[in-house]
Amino acid sequence: MSVQNPIVNVSAAMNSFRATRARIFARGLFLLAFGAPLMFFPAPARSQAAGTGQAAPSVVQTDVKLVIGGEKIKNNSRGTLSVEGSSLQFATAKAKVEVDASSILDISTNEDSRENITGAAKVATMAIPYGGGRVLSLFSHRVDVLTLEFKDANGGYHGAIFVLPQGRAAPIKKQLVAMGAKASVPLAEPAPANK
Amino acid sequence: MKHHTRAAVSVIFLIGPACALVLLVGSLWGQTGSGDSKSAQKLSASSIQIEPMDPGDVPMPPEFRVAIYENLITQIEKTGKFQHVYRSGDKEAARVPDLVMLRTTAQSFRKGSQKEREVVTVAGSSSIILKVHITDHAGQTLVDRNVEGKVRFFGENLRATYDFSKKVANIVRDTF
Repeated sequence: MSVQNPIVNVSAAMNSFRATRARIFARGLFLLAFGAPLMFFPAPARSQAAGTGQAAPSVVQTDVKLVIGGEKIKNNSRGTLSVEGSSLQFATAKAKVEVDASSILDISTNEDSRENITGAAKVATMAIPYGGGRVLSLFSHRVDVLTLEFKDANGGYHGAIFVLPQGRAAPIKKQLVAMGAKASVPLAEPAPANK
Repeated sequence: MKHHTRAAVSVIFLIGPACALVLLVGSLWGQTGSGDSKSAQKLSASSIQIEPMDPGDVPMPPEFRVAIYENLITQIEKTGKFQHVYRSGDKEAARVPDLVMLRTTAQSFRKGSQKEREVVTVAGSSSIILKVHITDHAGQTLVDRNVEGKVRFFGENLRATYDFSKKVANIVRDTF
């Protein structure tokens, strides 16, 4: 066994390193020249504090299931839940329901789990022999449940339940509470990070 | 021997349908008789107002409270016994002279597990027991009984609220 020593041209390597350094320096100067004026340009910032007269940023969540409580919308419909203006909207391809934040009597969030296989596929799993369908029931995912209690124009009490992907209900609740919705249970503070 | 067997079979074939006929006629006669007594006891009201569930001391998640209320509204509307089903707080309900009120109070609640139900079958059932109280416009009690809603084998936990509402709707059908 023999190991060959590679021949390294040190002077050529040094020249290439210097050229690269010069190129990076030139690019840095170019970016500084163009970037510095932009730093002082009065462009509207997204992280502007609330209550400065500008509309609050909207929260949009797709693939939300309305379990119950949509007047015009069928139970278990899927659609988009959004906070726009001063109201909560749930829209499907066919219809839209809107609830004004000031009419919300209580808003609460909860965690739950839902099975991965539902509907017609669930019925089909029952045909799997040797209890295979039961094994498939073990696969589930965590979800957030958003529950609203509100009153209509006549003062009538209504309720609605939405199922969202995990961790998506809290921002909507926070936004609605900021807009005047009542909540009997305040938003939980985020847990401190473990060091 | 063969003759005896044949005779026995023919007798069985005759007695079987005869018994079934007697049972059928008897049950029909019984139904019409009890139907008359039921219709004599039935009450009438043009409208009903449904109050939100009172959880009392029973800890119940808010989604169950809301699901019970919304399912009750839907199922009582489906009975077709009332011209109007008013929600709690509706201003128009105050003008109705023969309004009846439906109130529910939680007695017990057990949130099961859908996973357990579908894997083990004999465990994980969800159950809610509520006292159903229907009063007339004068405050006189028309219905006061405990009703249980449950989901034993298949379906999400919230399905117990649907089961409960269906049973309350049946009570309303029998009463009005």
